[in-house]
Amino acid sequence: MTRGLMTTVGALALTLAAGPAFACDPDYTGVEITATTQTGPYIASALTLAAESWTKKTCGTVKVVEFPWSELYPKIVTTLTSGDDSFDVIAFAPAWAPDFTPFLTEMPAQYQEGEAWEDIAPVYRESLMVWNGKVLSQTMDGDVHTYTYRIDLFEDEANKTAFKEKYGYDLAVPKTWKEYLDIAEYFQNNVDGVYGTAEAYRRGGQQFWFLFSHVAAYASHPDLPGAMFFDPETMDAQVNNPAWVRGLDEYIRSSKLAPPSALNFSFGEVNAAFAGGQVAQSIGWGDTGVIAADPEQSTVAGKVGSAVLPSSTEVYNYKTGEWDTFDQPVDTSFMAFGGWQAAVPQSSKHQEAAWDFISHLSSPVVSGQAAVTGGTGVNPYRISHTTDTERWSKLFSDREAKEYLGAQRDAVTADNVALDMRLPGYFSYTEILEIELSRALAGEVSAQEALDTVAKGWNELTDQFGRDAQLSAYRASMGLPPLQ
Amino acid sequence: MTRDDPVKHLFLWPAFLVVLAVAIFPLIYSLANSMMSLRLVPPMPARFVGVDNYTDLLTNPRFWHTVRTTAFIAITSVALQFVIGFALALALAKRVRGVNFFRTTFLMPMLVAPVAVALVARQILNPTMGPLNQVATFLGFPNLPYLTDANWALGSLIAVEIWQWTPFVVLLLLAGLQGLPDDVYEAAEVENASPWQQFWGITFPMMLPISAAVIFIRVVESFKIIDTVFVMTGGGPGIATETLTLFAYQEGFKKFNLGYTSALSFLFLGVVLILSLVYLALLKPYLEKYK
Repeated sequence: MTRGLMTTVGALALTLAAGPAFACDPDYTGVEITATTQTGPYIASALTLAAESWTKKTCGTVKVVEFPWSELYPKIVTTLTSGDDSFDVIAFAPAWAPDFTPFLTEMPAQYQEGEAWEDIAPVYRESLMVWNGKVLSQTMDGDVHTYTYRIDLFEDEANKTAFKEKYGYDLAVPKTWKEYLDIAEYFQNNVDGVYGTAEAYRRGGQQFWFLFSHVAAYASHPDLPGAMFFDPETMDAQVNNPAWVRGLDEYIRSSKLAPPSALNFSFGEVNAAFAGGQVAQSIGWGDTGVIAADPEQSTVAGKVGSAVLPSSTEVYNYKTGEWDTFDQPVDTSFMAFGGWQAAVPQSSKHQEAAWDFISHLSSPVVSGQAAVTGGTGVNPYRISHTTDTERWSKLFSDREAKEYLGAQRDAVTADNVALDMRLPGYFSYTEILEIELSRALAGEVSAQEALDTVAKGWNELTDQFGRDAQLSAYRASMGLPPLQ
Repeated sequence: MTRDDPVKHLFLWPAFLVVLAVAIFPLIYSLANSMMSLRLVPPMPARFVGVDNYTDLLTNPRFWHTVRTTAFIAITSVALQFVIGFALALALAKRVRGVNFFRTTFLMPMLVAPVAVALVARQILNPTMGPLNQVATFLGFPNLPYLTDANWALGSLIAVEIWQWTPFVVLLLLAGLQGLPDDVYEAAEVENASPWQQFWGITFPMMLPISAAVIFIRVVESFKIIDTVFVMTGGGPGIATETLTLFAYQEGFKKFNLGYTSALSFLFLGVVLILSLVYLALLKPYLEKYK
């Protein structure tokens, strides 16, 4: 009896002592938040993984509701506009931000300070998460285009000698798009079994982001921010100016230096072509490097080099109609897609818990783990994601990790980061572009003809949707103040 | 219960309401939407526009292009499905060794989901790594643009349609052939009619009603083609292989232009209806003749 009593008292004392270690902090016991995004695994699995650890930490629960990509936008937009409280957290494509921002809560001030906040790459923290001066969403995935190449081919002595002989300069990571095409041409014509490059060219297969990456080097003028797609004062389409024509001509040229099937390449095929050792170089999102470095998915593991996108010493000035020349290639990168955003609707009944979950999801530790976990679709967006080489050592060799993380970091911190287009009716604009791109790639029309058609279509859409409203949204998306 | 017994309403109304809710209401709702400017992206207030969506579509060259593309794919593929299917059905109708094996094997393609078929076709038609390229390279034609040149892409889509749906034609025609009376053929044998004469004089005319039905079903189904095109070409290059349903998908689920998409759906219905009526009208004299 005495022994039993002592055991009980002891157990109670232990429980009390250990209490703080198991406490819910903050305590969201009984709170269930509902988060919605596209059907997994990409992004949805990142939410699910974070939900598990958030539950352990706070005792609250997260229900992740997934919708197919085609249904996600209408589901979210109808709940937001009707004031429905179905969702406490929405994870969405940044292009939809203009339609959602009137219905989102601002990120609480406590999350907009401290080391974790400063650790988010500035382009996300200061541009992509901000709308008209307010932080309305949290980046939960980084999306920027970078360059990937085969180290073994680039360092092969025979290739180096032959390349220099033909082009008059050293075979190395290209600094300009012209060098990129020279390299593609060299490998296409001189190395058996290897094609020059791989990009996405397929209609509906992310092709336009690859064009944007070419164009950004010529159309994103460092002194004229936000003018790549439209004139930020009139909303006139810039898509058929000489910078775009040059970018498209080079994009078409690259398609002829790619595998014969490349016109049917989506980004998935780009990754397969690079990881399969079919091509000497490619451009695209960070997934390429990760997939190509994995021996289970790749035949070129251990030989995967990374760098920022090529650029140009000439940038078109849309105001003067002249090409401005720079001594060195401008440090330009392109935020293709821009990375998934997480936000809390004003209609949510658990706003505090929802923001706490988002903070947890995007914390350096949780997001850092997601970035190296296959299938989450999360690419680096924090500085710490690119500096913690220990975490990446399972995937990459030392050199691969150094180059990959360096490229990711340099791309998002470039002096002249070009933001992706984010406009109401985004897919209406890009559909016109996709059709004409496809025709230009097939040789049915010239680059100028294709882009003239696109410009006409874009201007008509802008008028249809309301030029003032579109201009206002465009300026906000580019981080420009409203026009007086 | 008499004819005027009010209890009859108790039995009639539920059925009427179910039909109204399930069949009529969606059609009326869709028809009403087709007369509205109704966009989810960017969200715009709905407004009545009358027949503007219809006139926009009828003056849109892309609409007519998709009508021509869809009709070309449907008519060409169904014509070839019928010819090949008839030949296979005739072969399978004979008592040959292993007929059950062949019947089962020939029917398998139609059991596979079109998306899966399209994915496999995309691999086979890969111009560098696909097995077809290996054969073509051996014959001196390497890296043909099966899916990236407009004409080749159309041909590839038609080929896949034929491969997948010929079994359906075989299945129905085989059932028809097995139902033909033997005595007619016995009489023809007595008259020393050749197999060719028997086919054109007996088999083909007697199979005409079922053939007409098979072709009708396949044409209507072929007009709905979307999954194969979506996976194999995405409608490209340009809009060279874009079909009516893919066009509707782009408008409805990428641009969320719901009013316009509803109008497009009704025009699609109209196109299929007109083609069906023309087809049945052309066929009517022959069906009457061989009734």
